[in-house]
Amino acid sequence: MPNEFDHALAEIHLLQNYLLIGAVLFTVGLVGFLARRNMIVMFLAAEMMLQGVSVSLVGWGRFHNDWGGQMLVIFILTVAACEAAIALALIQMLFQRSGNLDIAIWQRLREENQPAYVDREIPEDFDPKQVFPTLTPAGIDPHIREEETIHRTHV
Amino acid sequence: MTGIDNITLIASLLLGLGLWMLLPRGSSRGKAFGLVLTTAAMGLFAYKLFPLDDLVSDAVFYVMTAVTLVSAVGAVTMRSPVYCAIWFALTLLGTAGLFFFQGAQFLGVATIVVYAGAILVTFLFVLMLCNPEGDSLYDRLSFEAGISSITGALLVGLLTWTAAATVFGDAKAVAAKPAEGPAPIAFASSYEAQGKSILTDHHVERLGMELFTRHLLAVEVAGTLLLVALVGAVAIVAHSRPADELGPATEEGRRNA
Repeated sequence: MPNEFDHALAEIHLLQNYLLIGAVLFTVGLVGFLARRNMIVMFLAAEMMLQGVSVSLVGWGRFHNDWGGQMLVIFILTVAACEAAIALALIQMLFQRSGNLDIAIWQRLREENQPAYVDREIPEDFDPKQVFPTLTPAGIDPHIREEETIHRTHV
Repeated sequence: MTGIDNITLIASLLLGLGLWMLLPRGSSRGKAFGLVLTTAAMGLFAYKLFPLDDLVSDAVFYVMTAVTLVSAVGAVTMRSPVYCAIWFALTLLGTAGLFFFQGAQFLGVATIVVYAGAILVTFLFVLMLCNPEGDSLYDRLSFEAGISSITGALLVGLLTWTAAATVFGDAKAVAAKPAEGPAPIAFASSYEAQGKSILTDHHVERLGMELFTRHLLAVEVAGTLLLVALVGAVAIVAHSRPADELGPATEEGRRNA
């Protein structure tokens, strides 16, 4: 049955494609996690690494005709949800303490004899006093009747 | 064991170089060139992909792959974190499409609903809560972009090489007995007619059976984990004392408080 052989080869090719995609996705996420300094972007990159692993797992599960791969991805989803909740709570807390999302601020937690990381370059087009446009309020102030603030007669 | 081939090697190097040029650095010079290099790397990786059965599935698969990988690069290299999140949403849609393509329907839906719908929106929510006004220096600089990109190039080269070598062994096992008997590896689509396949029409039913029988303990543990994470997140937020009591860490934080 040469047909079955072709079939097996097609499955192997499908698996290899998925492994390749998973590897590239994982790597891009890793580079992002290592290089970016915004804490939220770092966590997005970490989630991307999880996605890369999920793609590979689903590929292997299909290849071996086994539910295990998909089961693992379901638990990866669960763990990612937990991770997001805790990470965002931590980021929110750290932002309250430091006033920005830069991870480099927390190098103050390093050992005393460790050298500090110093930025070697300042972006050329960086303007710390940049002002974003705002909308001026338009129109007249609505007339508010006193009783409507307590009880709304109609909707 | 086969050696690493030239195309994978060049593609890995190009991907590392392109990512290095695209990552936010001091100057915005070389971004276009980085884009060209990354596209070339993706093209070479796409060349390494094997064509599938027919034209339609090929087209769908390549579109899904392109969406996933291009938006992954975008999510990592954009300056504004909001753009990062939007590109990441596109990555999630691409991976969901890849899951559908493999017949993992439940996972495709769950990725869109849970990841893109819930987790990503929470990310954006915190981003809006936390975004300081004006330009932020740290979104325009990277930690050691060069070393990170070298790490990435090495890793992707190694991963693709080992993956190819691993599956190559399986391919030889299949090639060893092409004609007689069942295939040495149990392929999903060869079981399709017998209803034993994971590509069954009753996908969610079978998946639920598997999840709540064989993996019941894991489900319980996952539930506990979710509860603990919930309590932990609340505890972290509730126990972070107000900034004036504790003293903010920086001058900027003192102004924000």
